[in-house]
Amino acid sequence: MLNRDSLFDAIGEIREEYISSAGHLLGYQEEENMMNFENYRRKAVLRKAGRIFLIAAVLTCLLTATAYAAGLFSFAARIPDADETFRINWTENEGGYLEWKDAKLALTFPDTPESREVEFRLGWLPFDVMESMPGCHPWEALSMDTWFTRFASESLFWPENRDRLPERYHDKRYENMGQAVLIETYAMSMFNDGGAMLMLYQTPGEITEEHWDNLDVLRFSATQHLDAVPEYNVPERDYVFNFILLSNPEEGWVVEICGQDDMEILQKIAENMEFRTTGKILTQKDFPNKYLFIDVGQG
Amino acid sequence: MEDDAILSLFRERSENALSETEAKYGRLCYSVAYRILEDSQDSEECVNDTWMQAWNAIPPEWPRKLSAWLSRVTRNLAVSRFREKHAEKRGGSEIPLILDELAECLAGGTEPERELERKELAAAINGFLAGLKQEERDLFTARYFYAASHKELAERTGFSIPKIKTVLHRNRVKLMTYLKEEGLC
Repeated sequence: MLNRDSLFDAIGEIREEYISSAGHLLGYQEEENMMNFENYRRKAVLRKAGRIFLIAAVLTCLLTATAYAAGLFSFAARIPDADETFRINWTENEGGYLEWKDAKLALTFPDTPESREVEFRLGWLPFDVMESMPGCHPWEALSMDTWFTRFASESLFWPENRDRLPERYHDKRYENMGQAVLIETYAMSMFNDGGAMLMLYQTPGEITEEHWDNLDVLRFSATQHLDAVPEYNVPERDYVFNFILLSNPEEGWVVEICGQDDMEILQKIAENMEFRTTGKILTQKDFPNKYLFIDVGQG
Repeated sequence: MEDDAILSLFRERSENALSETEAKYGRLCYSVAYRILEDSQDSEECVNDTWMQAWNAIPPEWPRKLSAWLSRVTRNLAVSRFREKHAEKRGGSEIPLILDELAECLAGGTEPERELERKELAAAINGFLAGLKQEERDLFTARYFYAASHKELAERTGFSIPKIKTVLHRNRVKLMTYLKEEGLC
């Protein structure tokens, strides 16, 4: 029978990460605990700074680089001028380069000589979807305690897979989402020497700066308007994409959780992710390009 | 010694596994036990039981985070030992207070009709905790897993005791709602 004793016993079976985190709060593992309390204090300071910052963001519609410049935050976000050019060498192209203008957002990081390669493990995904697609890659991997460097849910959108969804999930939230959830890992060292994460097609709204434990976090939504395609009888439409970017400045990695699913869903996914480094060190030489496009569905 | 090395000693059935575990985590486990039992001898015995349980469980178990795994084992052994000792009386420990608080999470204090598996309930509690902000989750876990007092939580977080109680109360109400929604309460 459920009673206070059984409830108390069940609390004894909670996840190890929760036990560990609360243990830090209580002073167990003293060295780590000191770091933890520094984080608590830092979080409080940053939260206050974040509120001030958001006011500034409303006034200017831009995320300024003050926290980054002060060394408090590893992301710097700005909206480039419309004619600002981002260029890379590209021998196959005429002129030997490729360039882009009219970027909607540029995210940069402190120069990082070496990054540690990161992997993640998912602790939570929308339950119904996860359970309803047995044997369908990549959702099947969720039951396998698997570590990923990239996770995509586009298979939900593929017609042959959609047919495998039980009837009750048809015409529901995922049916029209080309990319409900996409999670990718990056190395900060890739963006040295003026490199950046760029958003080219989707327009970001207000950007929220947060701090989760040892992670710097940016959250925002972006919109994209697509014209009608009369020949296919497709009307004009607006899409909303949500983004959560996590960075660990000490280890030099970045993880992007984005997609068309609700921000609350993405946040729950992000909050339940585990991270570990593989031991592999990545420098800028490991990457052919110092720019990356983060627009969902645009590669 | 790194946890992986200690776990390898367990796998090799080397008795050094126990001495290394005690050297690294003896203080932690004693502290976890003492918080519940408030008795040195009982706590030491509880810690020794923890080493025995670790020896029997690893392998096949392979803790991802040894400190948390040992904390869990110690906590649960301490709770059992507490119940044995306090079957008839309610002492001055935090545990009776905590049990009273947790009773609030049960609808009207009535007993449900069906037997619940502990793991099912634990899974629901994990789901509930996943939805909390980290600071709230830490407070909840520190109180109801580690049996920390309100005073200690206030000292550790810098919050006032009334605020600690308010946060815990709010989350107990949330947990009750969550358990109801899950059909567990």
